[in-house]
Amino acid sequence: MTTAVTNKEIIKEKQLPKGKNLTTKDRLIKVDRKDAKLALAHMYVAFTALLVGGLAGLLQVFVRSGAFQLPFGIGYYQILTVHGVLLGLILTTYFIMGFQLAAVSRTAGALSNTQRKLGWIGFWLMTIGTVAAATMVLLNEASVLYTFYAPLQAHWIFYAGLALVVVGSWIEGLSQIMRYVQWRKENKGQTSPLLAFMAVVNNLMWFVASLGVAIEVLFQLLPWSLGLVERIDVLLSRTLFWYFGHALVYFWLLPAYMVWYVVIPKVIGGKLFSDALARLSFMLFLLFSIPVGVHHQLTEPGIDGFWKFLQVVLTFFVIVPSLMTAFSMFATFELRGRELGGKGVLGWFRQLPWKDSRFLVPFIGMVAFIPGGAGGIVNASYQMNQLIHNTIWVTGHFHLTIATAVVLTYFGAAFWLIPHLTGRTLTSRMNSLANTAGILWAVGMFIMSGAMHIAGLLGAPRRSEYSTYGGSEQAAEWISYQFAQAIGGTILFISILVIIGVVVNLLWFAPKGEEEFPVAEVAEGGGSTPAILENFKVWGVILVALILIAYTFPIFDILSNSPAGSTGFKLW
Amino acid sequence: MANHKKTSDDNLKGTLYATFGIGIIIIVIWALCFNLFIDRF
Ligand code: HEM
Ligand SMILES: [Cu+2]
Repeated sequence: MTTAVTNKEIIKEKQLPKGKNLTTKDRLIKVDRKDAKLALAHMYVAFTALLVGGLAGLLQVFVRSGAFQLPFGIGYYQILTVHGVLLGLILTTYFIMGFQLAAVSRTAGALSNTQRKLGWIGFWLMTIGTVAAATMVLLNEASVLYTFYAPLQAHWIFYAGLALVVVGSWIEGLSQIMRYVQWRKENKGQTSPLLAFMAVVNNLMWFVASLGVAIEVLFQLLPWSLGLVERIDVLLSRTLFWYFGHALVYFWLLPAYMVWYVVIPKVIGGKLFSDALARLSFMLFLLFSIPVGVHHQLTEPGIDGFWKFLQVVLTFFVIVPSLMTAFSMFATFELRGRELGGKGVLGWFRQLPWKDSRFLVPFIGMVAFIPGGAGGIVNASYQMNQLIHNTIWVTGHFHLTIATAVVLTYFGAAFWLIPHLTGRTLTSRMNSLANTAGILWAVGMFIMSGAMHIAGLLGAPRRSEYSTYGGSEQAAEWISYQFAQAIGGTILFISILVIIGVVVNLLWFAPKGEEEFPVAEVAEGGGSTPAILENFKVWGVILVALILIAYTFPIFDILSNSPAGSTGFKLW
Repeated sequence: MANHKKTSDDNLKGTLYATFGIGIIIIVIWALCFNLFIDRF
């Protein structure tokens, strides 16, 4: 018996006024079979990246504990590059493109043959790029970490490979946008399906943001690594990178928000609190994701304090849609919990389907996002940034946000998405294994991330191999926290193994059947959606204006005062 | 939900408290770090 069925039985028993057993009909709306194949191709790559990248993570915490040394002369920074690239760039981009494709196909309808062909072209470009970049890392020609900062210089094939990944993702995003545009043409004057709309917002944000890194790679890193030019403007390259890099984290996060807003309400048998609120928050994320990259460069000389301050202020605007999202989620939970008979101020909380991994695992992610977000506000607080800059606190921070909130939501989605695509079901055994993995993740991350936060406040640097720093007293304070990280990291790796086990089962071994792609309806009284929220021209103009305000002068300043630049370094 | 009577349990009080709870967590963490910052710099 599947959990989905168990859940439905509960719904049948305890709920619901007439007309609500739409559930059965809804379940039959499936992602087109050919689209499913393309989406699944993404899942293979994403979860392979999880396994290999996770193994690298395990090795890192072992090395940093001081009790273990890498064999065969493998370098720490080589492993760390594998970890950052595979988990930060590859796992995320592949999962996102596969998930968004399935979401568009499910809610706006199957892709046309041309659109699907574009999807496959994009997929293969990304894959060729991934293999090229990975080969260079394995050959020890590119231990430059996933941010590939100049003046560290990798083999040009590494940069070209990453550029192919970005170009491939553009083409895939384009095919999703084309399907959405087609829907709007065929349904003039109607509000578009929310999931398709959200996928389009994320793709647009991605286009605008990745222009920065595309320019950096094409005009700076490639000519320089090919030896066509000798020197590179380091500050310019970092500024272009972070113009892209902060939006990158929202590119990861928005698909998780798609699941939170649209999928989770259906999984718990409830409704979306408000369609308009969801769309507005996505548009605000679109606006405030890009003109804020300088908050990663707050300690950097060469950017005037005024522009740092301006971008810090713009950064803080992102708190608005974040708390809107939190509010909307709580409201969905509370309405549903009360419907099920929860009483009092918090009684509804107990009524939620805690045994359903499609809910529990993303829920753990949501909880992690609270300290993650709070830590982020500390990071962004201009002068206070120097408290934590380049310390392991930062690593602790983004293992709560990307490596817990985001990835646990992705995993929770994979537990229904993969069987939906393969025509199998999540059995109750797999469901409880999935829950176990979620809980292990929570425990492991609490230990690892907690230790990273504290050690960071004590001054421990990030991106650093084990060292006693010449027997320094301060460094001695960190070692017990590094041990704690090794314990937490080991628990995390076990969790990854369990998740891979569940995914393998869902791909090839689970019983044939039907698993629902949950899409929530809007609650009655949720209000109608103002058309302005779908007017991309208006939001596009505001976005471009904000970017110009935030970046024109700093870039001009960097260009007009640029020093001779730096030659390449290979320190590994 | 649509047309039944409002009862004392038909509200979003929990949501209100929870959202403000997040705000308070943020402020407390920020204040602790600010304190550390002032001590050091
Ligand atoms: C078994 C689970 C994991 C362990 C043990 C682990 C451990 C670590 C450690 C110790 C570092 C910092 C090393 C240093 O700064 O010297 C690190 C960095 C990083 N991790 Fe993880 N991690 C895990 C899972 C993940 C996941 C799931 C993601 C993302 C989806 C992720 C993304 C990253 C990124 C982007 C970096 C930064 C790399 C860099 O600074 O260049 N990690 N991880
Ligand atoms: Cu940022």
